[in-house]
Amino acid sequence: MTQIDVVGLTKRYGTTLALDGVSLQAREGELVSLLGPSGCGKTTTLRCMAGFMDPDAGDILVDGTSVTRLPPQKRNFGVVFQNYALFPHLSVFDNVAYGLAVRRLPKAEQRARVADALAMVRLQGLEDRLPRALSGGQQQRVALARALVIRPRLLLLDEPLANLDARLREEVRWLIRDVQQQSRITAFYVTHDQAEAMALSDRIAVMKAGRVAQFATPREIYQRPAEAYVARFTGDANIIPARPRDRTADGGFHVPFGGVMLPVPGVDGIRPGDPAMLMLRPEALSLIDPGAEGVIPALVLGTAFLGAALACEVSLADGTRLRLQASPHAPVQPGMTVGLRVDTAHAWLMPDVLS
Amino acid sequence: MMRALSAAVLGVIYAFLLLPLVAVVAASLTAGELMRVPPQGLSLKWFARFLASETFREALLLSLQVAVTTVVVTVVLATLAALCHRALSRRLAATYRVAMTLPLLLPELLTAIGLLFFLNGLGLGKTLTGLQIAHVVIAFPFAFLAIVAALEQVDPAMEEASASLGAGGFGTFRRVLLPLIRPGMLTGGLFAFIVSFDMFTISLLLKPVGGNTLPLALFDFLTYDFDPTAAAAATLSVIAAVIGVLAIERMVGLKRAF
Repeated sequence: MTQIDVVGLTKRYGTTLALDGVSLQAREGELVSLLGPSGCGKTTTLRCMAGFMDPDAGDILVDGTSVTRLPPQKRNFGVVFQNYALFPHLSVFDNVAYGLAVRRLPKAEQRARVADALAMVRLQGLEDRLPRALSGGQQQRVALARALVIRPRLLLLDEPLANLDARLREEVRWLIRDVQQQSRITAFYVTHDQAEAMALSDRIAVMKAGRVAQFATPREIYQRPAEAYVARFTGDANIIPARPRDRTADGGFHVPFGGVMLPVPGVDGIRPGDPAMLMLRPEALSLIDPGAEGVIPALVLGTAFLGAALACEVSLADGTRLRLQASPHAPVQPGMTVGLRVDTAHAWLMPDVLS
Repeated sequence: MMRALSAAVLGVIYAFLLLPLVAVVAASLTAGELMRVPPQGLSLKWFARFLASETFREALLLSLQVAVTTVVVTVVLATLAALCHRALSRRLAATYRVAMTLPLLLPELLTAIGLLFFLNGLGLGKTLTGLQIAHVVIAFPFAFLAIVAALEQVDPAMEEASASLGAGGFGTFRRVLLPLIRPGMLTGGLFAFIVSFDMFTISLLLKPVGGNTLPLALFDFLTYDFDPTAAAAATLSVIAAVIGVLAIERMVGLKRAF
């Protein structure tokens, strides 16, 4: 129900700049992920938003009103922690009811709202248990219910799946998405797992050393990364130094690659002749008969059978190494010469570092 | 060979620690007129003698009164101090902790002399209030350390979660911290009780006019007499301590308390 604006958030620890002008927005009901490696400032951003930490500069606006000076208890934001942070001395019911008890709501209303919240996270019948008698997945459901029951203006999730095993992670991830969609709560979600961010988010902010490297939809982040860092962080990619020759008629670039000239789309600011990076996702490459017209000859270095696909590593005449996925039935063996075809619609030209 | 040796060493250590207690308890049960081990016949008459003595009864009551007040005041102060310790940065907290435990590090006699001058200056020399203050000063570090240890077990995310759910500082303390550190507060209170009940040096210098705590009364008694009443008093102290430890064990479990 809420629009969130984070404007120029800056935070310094001693001499290191943990946040360097982070700006983000989330529209009503949107789920925005903060994606990046540890130390990139994603958790610091979330903690500033929750009010657990004071930014040195910048502002956090809820529907246009600044909350930066408010203590956490006055913000009415739900927070879900990586380690759940359930109160160990309280039962599941009392944990979920905590925010309602603090607000001194009538007991009957507390009971009804706790029941609703627990139904929403599909955890019923365990109301009297203590947190330590629950599995990790159940604890995270309780934590989610506890944050939702206060009907927060904003939901903040700090790597909520990091402590769960792979199978549960999938399950709780979908649950979080369902609950967020159902309740139409605006949410920020911190994670270092790009697959998680892709699956959950309306938009992703890829963070790098205290700054937002790119803030866009998962599709754009994956297919149209703003710089090589974003491409590397959002999935498998071959990233090859390249110099575009000139512009194509439709606004792309002519890039010499493996002895042929590829017409590829790219970041607009690149000038012909500048050094740039050519991104080829594994799905942009396929293997064909080496005799055909216009193919790039390549030497197979190694293969690995993955079940659904055959992962191959090949090298071009100039020594460039590429990874790609071929059909599992492809008769490919190390030492063979094959033909490489590039689907230029899935290629992308970008600067190495965005200036 | 090694096992036998270590068992023997352990046996010697236990004997060293426990034999005096056994001897005192045994001596208190004697039917004879002299404090000696083994006792000559069995009887509880020295306990009766102890309780019949007005000097000892008054001393016991004063000791209990001072010890209970010490527990209450010390636990409240130590809890506040421990919360402050939690809020400080790591470097400041180390300095603060040393300052708070100073009465533990200084010789008791030195603290006693210091307090004597200080309390006299305040006009509280030789009063019950002065003695009470002194007991709190000495007992404080024990309770402080026990509560700091309990607070360190509490994940800081607890307070953040509580705040994000709308609780202010006091609400978070009452609903989350207090229940989680209660074992540490009980342990700290027990320490404070034992320290106060056993305190000798401080009490000797600061005792109020006409008032004697139990250790002082025993000391006076032993200066002139050597009958087993003293052993009976000591035995009662030991029993009180054991009851306290068992109570803590029953309520919170010793593992969690330490």
